[in-house]
Amino acid sequence: MDILNLLLQGVSVSIIPANLLSCIIGVLIGTLVGVLPGIDTVSAIALLLPFSYGMDSTAALIMFAGIYYGSKYGGSTTSILINVPGEAASVVTCLDGYPMGQKGRAGAALAISAIGSFIAGTIGLIGLTLLAPPLAQAALAFGPPEYFSLALVGLILLSKLTGTSTLKSALMAVIGIILSTIGLDSLSGISRFTFGIDELDRGFDLSIIAMGLFGIGEILTAMTHADAKPDIPTVKFRDLYPTKEEWQRSITPMFRGGIVGFLVGLLPGPAATISSFISYGLEKRCSKHPEEFGHGAIEGVAGPESANNSAISATMIPLMSLGLPFCGATAILLSGFMIHGITPGPSLITERPELFWGLIASMYIGNVLLLIINLPLIGVFVQLLKTPLNILMPLVAVVTLTGAYSINNSIFDLIWVIFFGILGFLLQRVGFEPSPLIIGLVLGPELERGLTQGLIICNGDIWAFITRPLAATILSLGAIVILYNFVTWVTKLNNKRKELNVN
Amino acid sequence: MIEKIISLLFLIGSLTYLYWAQEFTFGALNSPKSGFLPNLAGITALLLSSLLIFRQFRFKKTTNKEAVNWTKFLFILIGLIFYLMILTIVGYFVASFLFLFYLFKVADTSGWRVPLAISFCGSAAFYLLFSYYLKVALP
Repeated sequence: MDILNLLLQGVSVSIIPANLLSCIIGVLIGTLVGVLPGIDTVSAIALLLPFSYGMDSTAALIMFAGIYYGSKYGGSTTSILINVPGEAASVVTCLDGYPMGQKGRAGAALAISAIGSFIAGTIGLIGLTLLAPPLAQAALAFGPPEYFSLALVGLILLSKLTGTSTLKSALMAVIGIILSTIGLDSLSGISRFTFGIDELDRGFDLSIIAMGLFGIGEILTAMTHADAKPDIPTVKFRDLYPTKEEWQRSITPMFRGGIVGFLVGLLPGPAATISSFISYGLEKRCSKHPEEFGHGAIEGVAGPESANNSAISATMIPLMSLGLPFCGATAILLSGFMIHGITPGPSLITERPELFWGLIASMYIGNVLLLIINLPLIGVFVQLLKTPLNILMPLVAVVTLTGAYSINNSIFDLIWVIFFGILGFLLQRVGFEPSPLIIGLVLGPELERGLTQGLIICNGDIWAFITRPLAATILSLGAIVILYNFVTWVTKLNNKRKELNVN
Repeated sequence: MIEKIISLLFLIGSLTYLYWAQEFTFGALNSPKSGFLPNLAGITALLLSSLLIFRQFRFKKTTNKEAVNWTKFLFILIGLIFYLMILTIVGYFVASFLFLFYLFKVADTSGWRVPLAISFCGSAAFYLLFSYYLKVALP
């Protein structure tokens, strides 16, 4: 009952005209980001950080959250219409969404995707509403060893779950930690690795690195790939009605996707993408028509598209209740909180309840807005897709560079944006996922603070970390993951040897 | 090949970082100092990058990568460096106009009038937005 009252108070905050307008702008930008394949959620939020300086903090955060969950709504549009995922989380939607489009059912696929996103997004939000406050309450008992354990296990799980090589992801995360050590050490006040350059004293700005890795990196990728312009079908509003059979086959996958997405979203890593793949596999296994998968099965659109939206709400739980971001987009959202002087974490709910509940309530409103806005505007989005990338990308490049400059009014920052842009482009070419680097950069200071303060508290006894029940539970989870990785690696190696011996 | 070069660069980078980290006091377990985490992170990065290089040489994998137009990449890079160089000399509006027009041509936008018009309108719009609306002190 208490939660309901607080949520109602949150609604009263989120329906203030300025906040409502921010929500509408956020979800619209988010949908556009999802629709346009060359622009990523992380870089879009990073790009818009300077625009929020003059805004009220609640309105700014409502807008950023809107971009985050809105982008997952729009991601399916290009997957269904042109077989190009607008977002990584919509890759799997191409498998059945595009074949549906080829059969003339693009409208139905888009409608099912939007309705599924709404239903699962609401499931995720209910989970967020119920879980975030008790977790924040529990986190008040966390000391430095617990925070260290959480950050460490978060990084271990992240390396396992990025979808690329575990080794590469782990290396990226460690490089992120290394970058976080550059600048003034908050514990001792000593400048580290700055080589007398004053500009480096403040360390690397998260948004600068994100704009480089994701923004300029994406621009370089888009501009150096010569892709043929795809044929985009025209979708009219009347085409959006699914048939009775399509409805019946979609309802259960939507709810199942919502639950799967929420559970996966609680884990570190690109939860939206992983949950969509898990949901697709699950739907294929549960379906009465598994042979239709890959040829336009509606369950293959309903399940994954629902899962990725539910996962988004779940990823907000560790950010808002613990202050720890476990994926690239929440890391950049944290940056948004920080520039407005707000530290997410256990104290947020007690010190700024209006912001905490206002943000959650705005997500419910945004979810409804997305459903209302998205379906009638499908035609507009289709037209937008026809914008040539050779016009769009140079404009995005100038906005990114100007946005990066405006953060500290520094040309030095632009040099870093370009450097990280080139690095991001090259890394993606050779299969390194840049997200763990961003997470490492964010979690690095937390990890260092937790480790050094924890060791001081425990008088240098590293084993004392394990005797603390909470830290021990978290650390054992990390140990299980490492052990599992090791056993899998040894088994694979043995199997390879056996195969070679047989041959 | 690029993969091996990048892994090698990571290895060299980790070694260099670890070398520099020696400048800071490591401390002890009961009193860790500013060199504590840098040393641990440097060693971990060194181990991981060595393992990666070992794996790349031991198990050869061929991955299908999309073709990249490296000439375009080089031209965009030159454009970005040029933009940084002229930004403080000619000011934001002129530099952005030139940079936009250059990028449009690198991106094979046909004709002269349309790229010129979009470059002019784009740089003017961004100038107004950042300078007047967001009060950013642009060069």
